[in-house]
Amino acid sequence: MPQPVQYRGMTLIVPDNDSEWKEFYEHARAHRLVVRKCNACGLMRYPPTHACPWCMDLGWTWQEVSGRGTIYSYEIVAHAIQPGFKELTPYAVVLVELDEQRGRPTADEALRVIANLVKPDFTPEPEANVAIGKRVRVVFQDLADHMALPQFTLTEEPAQGRVWRLPG
Amino acid sequence: MKTLRDKYCIVGVGETEYSRSSRRTTRAMAVEAIRKAIIDAGLKAADVDGMLDYQGGDSTLANSVASDLGIRFNFYMDVMGGGSSTEALVGLAMGAIEAGMCNTVAIYRSMNGYSEFRIGGTGARAAQPVRGLDLAQVPYGMRSAGQSFAPTFMRHMYEYGTTSEQVAHVRVAHSKHASQNPKALLKERVTVQDVLNSRWIVKPLHLLDCCLETDNATCIIVTSVERARDLKPRPVYIMGVAGRVSKPRLDFHWAHGPISRVAGYYAKDIVFPQAGITPEDIDVTGSYDAFTFTTMLQLEEYGFCKKGEGGAYVSSGIIELGGKRPNNTSGSHLCEGYTHGMSMVIENVRQLRGTVDDYCPRAAEGVHTYDYSPGRCRQVKDAEISMNLGWAMPATGSALIMRR
Repeated sequence: MPQPVQYRGMTLIVPDNDSEWKEFYEHARAHRLVVRKCNACGLMRYPPTHACPWCMDLGWTWQEVSGRGTIYSYEIVAHAIQPGFKELTPYAVVLVELDEQRGRPTADEALRVIANLVKPDFTPEPEANVAIGKRVRVVFQDLADHMALPQFTLTEEPAQGRVWRLPG
Repeated sequence: MKTLRDKYCIVGVGETEYSRSSRRTTRAMAVEAIRKAIIDAGLKAADVDGMLDYQGGDSTLANSVASDLGIRFNFYMDVMGGGSSTEALVGLAMGAIEAGMCNTVAIYRSMNGYSEFRIGGTGARAAQPVRGLDLAQVPYGMRSAGQSFAPTFMRHMYEYGTTSEQVAHVRVAHSKHASQNPKALLKERVTVQDVLNSRWIVKPLHLLDCCLETDNATCIIVTSVERARDLKPRPVYIMGVAGRVSKPRLDFHWAHGPISRVAGYYAKDIVFPQAGITPEDIDVTGSYDAFTFTTMLQLEEYGFCKKGEGGAYVSSGIIELGGKRPNNTSGSHLCEGYTHGMSMVIENVRQLRGTVDDYCPRAAEGVHTYDYSPGRCRQVKDAEISMNLGWAMPATGSALIMRR
């Protein structure tokens, strides 16, 4: 079993028999964002699961995605409960809607991913720059030889739809 | 779906003191709460032959507390589960009795939610290793309930123009109700400005948008109408129940939007047809207030107002004592103390009995002044039908409709 990864005071455990996450993080360590694509209906899903939630087929393959998307919602953590995050406050957690498969198979469904919104040095993006509608791309924060965390950073692309942030 | 309307009832309720320092075990607290509920029902320990409880690795199992009380089981189960388990277990108790497995079920929740396992996530909960599905969000500093729900609240503000000021009225209303409740930990009435001036926890939640971690135990006793006939208190009849109803993609509900939709969207189509009524028929609501926003989202999703108009609804005065349909009249999780949903069902049982434990001198006899100024009455006049809206998270919830 690979060594547990220590990150910000947390112990992240991805054992060899982790049939959901082990390969996901190996791809992430190679700086590829992957999701599972159903061999039968072709729809992609995240997080990694075993049967297709739309057609129940058990066959799937890892599919690399562009890692580009739009901030769909977010929060700003002012009071961290995990000790290792206290020095980062205020930090943004973003719900990113990836460009692939938006509005499929139904209008409100999409590939959405949780991560932090960070600057290129992985420090938190200042709160004033965090807003629904802003465009982002994935970056990879290397944690160990076998693990990297996907994170997101702002891009220069024009925003998508209405840009909104919490007033004040 | 089938209905068991008016065939089962709640006959006893009980709770310990709400505190921030119980200085005793969850076993000791559970025993006290169950004993009070048994006495409230006019039952003896031997009359209780079923037990259900829920917890998250932070409490005592039924075998210990039953032994303490001299209860022998025909049926019991310990359930892993959080908020919205209350209503679900009321339904499971009905099912166990209907199946002929037992006659009377005591449901309890006991937790040192502040002094031992902080329900808000600080301490032991934050130190747990991260594996499995937790990897999708915990490594990003998103672990507590507030952190897990906040993007839902934020998206609602984006889509519908809901404001912090509007939802602050939930805290204002519940603090007004707590000022009439001798049991409440926070009895002081607050203003919208007090909420907005309190420090940020996780935007869009201020400190006063969040509930109050508490040590307590609570108990509810369910039995059949036949069994209840010769009991002392007025039974409160169960008209409809929906338990742990979920949205699609429960593993990661963000995948299936709109994310501003909560589980009540599905639960309402179970519980209202069972009861044969509509939201307009409800006199008092108990909408789970882990946060101000959870109360608002559920009232809206169950149809007490149109979707998207929850902010206007909760800031209209309707949900306050003296309003058309008061919500959480005990002050509940935001002000009375956090009970994982139990206290809101207990409160509605007392409302329907007409014996809410306010400051009216003859409250226990059902004599109330209906004077809602501070330190007086919190009984809703002529309350006939109540509804509880239980919340586990945006994607899971329960509901319970009761009548007197």
